Amino acid sequence: MNHDLIKILIKRFISSVLILFFLISFLFILLRIAPGDPTQRYISPGLSPQLAEKVKVSFNLDRSVQEQYLSFVKNFFSGDLGVSYSFHTSVTNVLFEFLPFTISFSLIAFFFQFSLGLLLAVFAYKNRSKKYLDGFISGTNMFLYAVPSFVSGVFLIYLFSVKLELLPSSGIKNITSVTSDFGELLFDYLTHLILPVICLALAGTPVYFKYFRDNIEQNYNKLYVRYLRSNGVTENVILYKHVIPNAISPIISYAGVDLGMLFSSVLITEVIFSLPGMGRLAVGAILDRDFPLVVGCALSAGTLMIITNFIADIIKFKIDKRLINGVLN
Amino acid sequence: MIKKIFQIKYIIIVLSVCLIISRFGLLCQTAVLARQYISLIMSDFITATVQTDFQLIDCFFSALLLVILPIIVIIGGKRIKLLKAVSWQATALVVFVFAFIFAPVITNENPDFQKNLSVTRLLSPLSSVKVLHLKEKKEDNNPLNDFLKTKSRVVKSSFDESILFCNSITVKKNNLEVRQNETNIEVMLNDVEIKNGEPVLTTKLFFLGTDEYGRDVFTRLIYGVRISLTIGFCSVIISLLIGVVFGFITGIKGGFTDIIISRITEMFLSFPLIFFVILILALFGNSIFTVIFVLGFSGWMSLLKIVKGETVALRNKDYFITAQQLGLSKKQLLIKEALPVMLAPIIVNTVFQLGNVILAESALSFLGLGVGAEYPSWGGMLQSGQENISRAWQLLAFPGMMIVTTLLTANKFGRELSKYYNPGFGE
Amino acid sequence: MSLVKRVTILFFFTLITIFFGCKKTNPVEKNTVVIAIPADIERINPLYSFSFDEANINELLFLSLVKHSWDEKKGDLSTEPMLAVSWEWAKDSSSIIINIRNDVKWSDGAPLTIDDVIFSFDVYSDPEVQSYLYGTFKAFYTDKDNHIDIKKTFEKISDSKLKINFLPASSPSMYNLDFPIAPKHIYGKIKRKDLINAAENFHPVTSGAFMLEKWERNQSIILKESVSSFLHNTDGVARLAFKIIPEYASRLAQLKNNEIDLVEDIKPEDVKDLKISEKLQIVPVKGREYDYIGWNNIDPEKYSKEKRLVPNKLFGSSKVRRALSMAINRDEILKEYFAGGEYGSLANSPVSPIFKNAINPAITPYKYDLEQAKKLLAEDGWSDTNKDGIIEKKGEKFKFTLSVPTNKPRRLFAATLLKNSLKQIGIDFSIEQLEPGDFIEKLSKKSLNAWIAGWAVPLPLDLKISWYSDLNKTPMNFCSYQNKNVDLLLDEIEKRISNDQKNNLYKKLEEILYADQPVTFLFWIDNVVVYNKRIQNIDVNPLGVVHHCWKWSVK
Repeated sequence: MNHDLIKILIKRFISSVLILFFLISFLFILLRIAPGDPTQRYISPGLSPQLAEKVKVSFNLDRSVQEQYLSFVKNFFSGDLGVSYSFHTSVTNVLFEFLPFTISFSLIAFFFQFSLGLLLAVFAYKNRSKKYLDGFISGTNMFLYAVPSFVSGVFLIYLFSVKLELLPSSGIKNITSVTSDFGELLFDYLTHLILPVICLALAGTPVYFKYFRDNIEQNYNKLYVRYLRSNGVTENVILYKHVIPNAISPIISYAGVDLGMLFSSVLITEVIFSLPGMGRLAVGAILDRDFPLVVGCALSAGTLMIITNFIADIIKFKIDKRLINGVLN
Repeated sequence: MIKKIFQIKYIIIVLSVCLIISRFGLLCQTAVLARQYISLIMSDFITATVQTDFQLIDCFFSALLLVILPIIVIIGGKRIKLLKAVSWQATALVVFVFAFIFAPVITNENPDFQKNLSVTRLLSPLSSVKVLHLKEKKEDNNPLNDFLKTKSRVVKSSFDESILFCNSITVKKNNLEVRQNETNIEVMLNDVEIKNGEPVLTTKLFFLGTDEYGRDVFTRLIYGVRISLTIGFCSVIISLLIGVVFGFITGIKGGFTDIIISRITEMFLSFPLIFFVILILALFGNSIFTVIFVLGFSGWMSLLKIVKGETVALRNKDYFITAQQLGLSKKQLLIKEALPVMLAPIIVNTVFQLGNVILAESALSFLGLGVGAEYPSWGGMLQSGQENISRAWQLLAFPGMMIVTTLLTANKFGRELSKYYNPGFGE
Repeated sequence: MSLVKRVTILFFFTLITIFFGCKKTNPVEKNTVVIAIPADIERINPLYSFSFDEANINELLFLSLVKHSWDEKKGDLSTEPMLAVSWEWAKDSSSIIINIRNDVKWSDGAPLTIDDVIFSFDVYSDPEVQSYLYGTFKAFYTDKDNHIDIKKTFEKISDSKLKINFLPASSPSMYNLDFPIAPKHIYGKIKRKDLINAAENFHPVTSGAFMLEKWERNQSIILKESVSSFLHNTDGVARLAFKIIPEYASRLAQLKNNEIDLVEDIKPEDVKDLKISEKLQIVPVKGREYDYIGWNNIDPEKYSKEKRLVPNKLFGSSKVRRALSMAINRDEILKEYFAGGEYGSLANSPVSPIFKNAINPAITPYKYDLEQAKKLLAEDGWSDTNKDGIIEKKGEKFKFTLSVPTNKPRRLFAATLLKNSLKQIGIDFSIEQLEPGDFIEKLSKKSLNAWIAGWAVPLPLDLKISWYSDLNKTPMNFCSYQNKNVDLLLDEIEKRISNDQKNNLYKKLEEILYADQPVTFLFWIDNVVVYNKRIQNIDVNPLGVVHHCWKWSVK
């Protein structure tokens, strides 16, 4: 690989980590100055004000914000994010309990959004002469984009779980089943994920579709296509070998950001389908004023974002290089 | 020839004329009210100021504008260049603008009006109920009371003591039995308005049904245009201000400022913003202002990047350097030289953003963090529809339709605008 | 060709998998009962049952000395043996001797002994521990930190006989002994301060008829029967699964297609829809919880700044509060929100109608009467002199903010209707929705002017906690109600007197509260429980649904 490029990537990586740290610090202080007392829920009715103060001490909330921040930074760099107020165990433990599901679920949903968007865009472009079909696909897409996921989610449950009784409506598995057979377990997980994935795909596919559709069209208007065409290259080859790779590369960086976002923006879907993901965890933490966990969630979301962006950068580079070679040959 | 007839200005004219005709009575009453109001100002200024509120001004303003609008369009119609071609999106835009400005004329009902819940709760579209009119209390005739009487007819309040909603009535000896679904109440015949020996009974049609509080969905949708678009526009303007000002500063200064602001932008971009939005709203409460602020504050990054890029490109252009050397201040440079050039991409971006903000508000409503029960926003209506999914489809369908139409319209205009500014694109 | 083709193939492959994934949902296994709960619990430790679901689960896992059940006829609690086989009060109620079962074992095999019992009293009342019962051991000998004095209180007579001495002037009862006993051999090893975050809270050693099988955070808590328990019922439920489903709509949907067996707090408006299903049983638990509109009786600003109790400018007078109570059409809300009033009733006082003997029959609800309300307000000096639609007194307009927590749609419903009602008598307010955490904090600081909240009446009945004037002793007196006569009555009730005397005092108290209307009592809310008819022997009562679930069986 190119040395300059590696340098750029490393530089970006370091700066993102720094940014993330600043962000976490900002969040930490914001939480401390905001109204709402996390100890409120742990104070029994018979408690006198002095003893209520003691509860605060046990949460380390009695000290000044600066002191709290300093000790937070110290712990942060030794890898300790503190103890979650509501889970009563270290924040890292909680995060590791919830991350695997979130990552796999987001990846599955992302895969669907991306591939469905691409397929539809190619299909629509190929049929662009049939105005009504192209228009229909674009219109449907726009329509789906405009339907909030809490509406489509509830509608899906209403249709598939209540009316048709086809699919389970919540959780990631049948909680009472005792089977240890791998196939059956996998099957169980898959059936539980169908509705949430459809719900997410309905929201995300239109965006990708639009991007792909526009980019493909834009590429077709470029000079190199005319050049290829005049050299007698067939339309299919132009589309698959040249236009689509070209159209994908600008979308990769969007996809990187989007995937990073997806880890936490699936929260509405998670709430509707009772999935044990990060989004629900984060919102719960915010509402419960579970300060360490809020910081932990932000940290993991930010980290995932950095990682996906990093990967997107690398992929983009690879695709670009191949393209350069392809054009030169 | 056909193209000439289907011009946007004709749509405007037709719509406003239709509105004037169908609401002629209301307009006349508004005129009467205006006359009484002016005489009240003359005679008793303090009382007049007490009586002046937003709804009153709103009513005067929209009635006046409605009357003069067709005239303006006919006279100045030739100058309207953009939006010449008529599409359904353009029509939708006109309808939205109409609903936004003329809401009090279009519905003449308070969006919060509700009464007799047992009769009016969750009615399906096109259903109607009977209205029994009670006798109004006699007040002595002085200018203020006259004014108040007319005002109550023009500016509707959220309650009305002089009517009763019911399913049917039976006349008995000296009282009336009023049926309200499962319950009957008795009303003295003396309290009821009577015409030709019969109690006055009219019907009221709920065009799009009612919600769980028995409020008219149609009225709320119309007022919802105001709320939702206000949220959309205000937060987009916040994004716009932040994006343009800081983008221009970073672009023109470069160096250290650039690094700082770019890092902050990256910080915002590298963080799932819905998380941030929820955090702020949960911690600081969700009023309409916080919602607008938070949504606006989480959408400026792309604008900043665009403005910065354009400014950097601009910095090397001859005319800009000349302007700089002429001694124009930063503010003048931004407004006179930079903005006109980068207006196109900014507008396109803003239009797309508008749709997203309206969607975001509805998602917040679902989490209980929207603009709340105080205002009839589309998002809030959708949310109550989601709760009543098996009972009242109208609460999902109509606000949903409004959101979809807004997004489609915004999208279409975004595209049209970018085509207009970059003719090579997308042909 | 390659990329798109690959994507296409992969896509259709997954699509096919999904397609075959579609099948009829499998209902719950036989002998397992699935109960839906809206949020995960925090830990399994009886010392910290702060939330309702946590208390329920802890009650199943950890047994207490005695158990109370609800006597429908008496309208009161009755005491039943549990770990204690029998007990004997001293004549002057100054002490009690209890005989404890000797066949009970903890789930790790260790026997449950008197030491566990004594340890439990010690640890529950320890200020270091901050248990949910801390500060409630008022009938016991304690030090100044409310920590029970073990030496003075307990006398171990034999391995199964324990004598407990009470404070001379107090009025102890069996309720003082009804809390889950904690395992000494486990908790004793942990530093008291660390108990709240101990790892043992996730792998508890338990003594009940059920024990923890599996707990997946934010997913499910599964309990299985403890075969060796003396409560074990061979025909009973083998497993009890608590499934965490945050969305109400999902709970409803799963109840309908047999994915779950039991849901609490069903909205009355959904009952009609559920009644159609033949497999579901609908049981309302008569109200123990009421909603009310709180009017801050004191000026919040003066209180927070100078700690002075000054009557509130708007709600300081009982006349105004009565007028406000008359201005809300509670009947209409009840009818519309509680399915024709079937699952709720109007509230007149904080004494729930389930306490049949304590309720005062002479009190009738305030009628919805705007004219009367206007008159009362006018008597107090409030009238609309400048005809702007809002009443005023000495230049002060009747305008305020009503705070409603975001998590209860029912309260928002009442607030929205109230707004319209009050506008008709010239009172204007804006609704502010507060996130629950924020709401409770502001409530305890007494910084809200008006609000809608709910209150679950504790069993046994305890009114002192929310109506006593001394604000330091009664943190739950959110509206800062001040009344000397009420204080006297509440003090009287705490003394050693007969139940009839107590009930008479309660009736008097209700009268005063009714006349003063420190808050506007709205309605008692029934907990509508819906369960699958395959569960048999289920006894739904005010103490909770899973109360005696080892007696359940599955058809």
